[in-house]
Amino acid sequence: MPVALVETKLFRPRPRAGLVPRPRLAALLDADGSRLTLVSAPAGFGKTTTVAAWLSAAAAADPARRIAWVSLDADDSRPEAFWTYVLTALDRVAPGTGSAALAMHGAGQPVEAVVATVLNELSVLPDDVTLVLDDYHAAEGPAIQAGLALLVERLPPQLRLVIITRADPALPLARLRARGELTEVRAGDLRFTGEETTAYLSEATGLELAAADVAALGARTEGWIASLQLAALSLRGREDASAFIAGFAGDDRYIVDYLVEEVLDQQPAEVRDFLVGTAILDRLTGSLCDAVTQSAGGARMLETLERRNLFVVPLDDRRRWYRYHHLFADVLRTHLVAEPPERVAGLHRRASEWYAAEGESALAVRHALAAGDVERAAELAELAMPALGRERREAVIRQWAQELPEEVVANRPVLAIGLVGGLMSSNDFGDVERRLVDIERQLALPEGELVVADPAELPRIPAALEMYRSALALNAGDPVTAIRRADLALEMAVDDDPLVRAAAPALSGLASWALGDVNAAHASYLVAIEGLHRADRIADVLGCSLALADMELTLGRLGDGRNTLERGLDLAERHRPDGGGVVRGTADMLVALSRCAWHRNDLGASAELLSRSEDLGEDAGLAQNPYRWRVALARLRAAAGDLATALELLDEAERVYVGDYSPPVHPVHATRARVLVASGDLDGAQKWASEHGLRADDQLSYLREYEHLTLARLLLAQETPAALEDARGLLDRLLRAAEDGDRAGSLIEILALQAAAGRDVAALDRALSLAEPDGWVRVFLGAGPALVPVLQRFVRERPDRAFARRVLEAATGTGTPSAAPARGQHQLVDPLSEREIDVLRLLASELDGPDIARHLVVSLNTVRTHTKHIYAKLGVNNRRAAVSRGHQLGVLSAGR
Amino acid sequence: MDYEIRIEGNLDPRWESWFDGMTLSAQAGETLISGPVSDQAALHGLLARLRDLGLPLLSVTRVAPEQSA
Repeated sequence: MPVALVETKLFRPRPRAGLVPRPRLAALLDADGSRLTLVSAPAGFGKTTTVAAWLSAAAAADPARRIAWVSLDADDSRPEAFWTYVLTALDRVAPGTGSAALAMHGAGQPVEAVVATVLNELSVLPDDVTLVLDDYHAAEGPAIQAGLALLVERLPPQLRLVIITRADPALPLARLRARGELTEVRAGDLRFTGEETTAYLSEATGLELAAADVAALGARTEGWIASLQLAALSLRGREDASAFIAGFAGDDRYIVDYLVEEVLDQQPAEVRDFLVGTAILDRLTGSLCDAVTQSAGGARMLETLERRNLFVVPLDDRRRWYRYHHLFADVLRTHLVAEPPERVAGLHRRASEWYAAEGESALAVRHALAAGDVERAAELAELAMPALGRERREAVIRQWAQELPEEVVANRPVLAIGLVGGLMSSNDFGDVERRLVDIERQLALPEGELVVADPAELPRIPAALEMYRSALALNAGDPVTAIRRADLALEMAVDDDPLVRAAAPALSGLASWALGDVNAAHASYLVAIEGLHRADRIADVLGCSLALADMELTLGRLGDGRNTLERGLDLAERHRPDGGGVVRGTADMLVALSRCAWHRNDLGASAELLSRSEDLGEDAGLAQNPYRWRVALARLRAAAGDLATALELLDEAERVYVGDYSPPVHPVHATRARVLVASGDLDGAQKWASEHGLRADDQLSYLREYEHLTLARLLLAQETPAALEDARGLLDRLLRAAEDGDRAGSLIEILALQAAAGRDVAALDRALSLAEPDGWVRVFLGAGPALVPVLQRFVRERPDRAFARRVLEAATGTGTPSAAPARGQHQLVDPLSEREIDVLRLLASELDGPDIARHLVVSLNTVRTHTKHIYAKLGVNNRRAAVSRGHQLGVLSAGR
Repeated sequence: MDYEIRIEGNLDPRWESWFDGMTLSAQAGETLISGPVSDQAALHGLLARLRDLGLPLLSVTRVAPEQSA
């Protein structure tokens, strides 16, 4: 997870005891038929309290009610943070609904896809969910708006969205209002009526106030609860309430100012000092307050403040963390301004020290900057960077790049290069070159002029400079320069610099791969994996091992590929987290091994590995796993002759596709085309070729090799003289390219196709020789039925070649059948009914809940009931897992 | 650019520091906040702070520097 969660932001506030009941607001909020509930009013109108009280009552009435709450702040205006919190909140109350979307989000997929994924899950959810976004105005911005608008537009009936804000959000409110789908609670509604004011004051002051006094207070405050609350506090313990009220009513100073002063005046000095001193803090806890105010008893003080209703709001269940109510904090802060600046700086400084001691570098730096201690902020930042990099919290570093003033970065090379790292990790390349040039300038200065907090990092800078330049080159589409600089970086790397030793070869490998030099890419990746392993980045080792195995297959080294993957599995096993989880990436290893087994035509093993992978659950897979798993299963289904299901699975794969850094050399659409060719749908395959602009006379590039080979299969299947001639020409050129690039894996396929195209026994001979050591079998079946007579002839002429006979048997289906994958529902304790299978088939599609209901001509509630039973019977809690399990059990195959 | 912003209510001069270089003057139930604002982003930041105090916004006027009150 790229964002470290602050748990208090997911905490649903509980209303205080003794609140005045306001049934008219509850009635407003309970309105039926609305999709969006908007509570929009300025600060201090009791928005959060009202919603919290309403939901608490609802939860009490119905304990199964699922309520997700996110308290937003300015940091959430970044989509990475915003959606992580929203999806996590949803997933916590409706387990399984958010996990796919969170994985996609973490992998950097566009927000539209992420939102669509979670909506897909929610629309068939059996239960209802309420999602509250509190303080939405703090997060709103163009970055968030688009995604939220999408969510609102396609809001499923199961999801009730509540937005609490100080400013109306930029959503199509007028349209929702016109359709009766918007429930609004605004300032006018939230103002306390005369009755409510009377009840409130009576409860809050413990006094029986004269009607005229209540009226005066109501008039002056205009029912604004923040000021009523302050007035009540001022009135407590006062002997002459009427006199105070008269004075207050007659004064026209800013009401909050006036009343806060009254309240503060009434407090003992130590409370006043505490309040003013801690006003600088966004969140408060006992020991932090003690550090800042240089006293003791902070925890007790906070509890007292809460008890006396002096504007602290608890942020969790355990009364550890609090915050001040915004208005109160604002006024307190103006009191600070009257203080000598040194005092305020001192407060921030001590806060910074506390946070630094707690390892909270982001807040430590923030407070240091607020104290004006720019140098100290820079030092803290510099020292915190290695840990942040390890924890993948580069977003913090990126913010520092914006917050730290230039002059402090201009003579701190280690800080400067760290900031570049943060920017690069966030794909924020714009400013990087300028910064790199500046760092070079710094390195040329005499050492005495530089400030370095982390001297161990200084000698690593030159190599890092080259590495970042390599990344920039790769990003700019210049792989040749990228390789040159990456290799240079590696040469310059000192000691066991974990970053450069892992990242530089990885960059070089990616660049080589993009150029089609798979051998060089392979060598680089080996070095990168070693570096990552030493740096203990196990998930990254697994990810790179997948790429490495891919390359080994391309190089024809199926055995090496298996070994790489087995080693990866072993590593994952040895690094299992405590508590019995699995390392993310384990499932991907199994899926890749399944693919290897398929290549050897060991379909039983292939199915078993795929099954094992699915059993590990969603947390075991990288973001790419869902699509890879579906492609692997599609291949198995195709091998079993069930081409219809194979195509469905490939369609699904495209829908859940997530890319990674590797070049996309096996696009799903091409695999799909291969299935079309095998099933005889040559028109469909031709359409594919036209859509993707593939022609036999294309200029060849490694990146499109797989697609061109697919085209060759199509041409072969077409069997016209023209097509065969085109195929032969294409295959000749592909052969030369594959030989130049040393890609034995591709060679086998090309030779097999050539053998089929030209009844060419010599080509077949060569293909078999290349394939035999590692047992490549399925590649021959891919060449189509035209290869069979050539194989038969070969087997007759060369009875000594046992491998050839094995391939022939596989191609004609006469060999020992490997165990077919277990199909059918006998594995289930409680099998799915026919109707449930119908629903499950539709869950596999893109249709949302209401569309599924329409398709089956039933109500949405009926669909939801079916979904509930399906999930229970399959032992899953989300749609995508249900579909995967259905595929695994063979429930979703054939016969549609 | 200079701006004059009127809000309802009387804001103590102490709040001047809150508004970063602007001048406050109370006038019969209203407060006038005037002074230089560097750009639109700064203006919106200022307005957001006013919003967060819960003070009704009456008007926002841009004035040429020599005309500001």
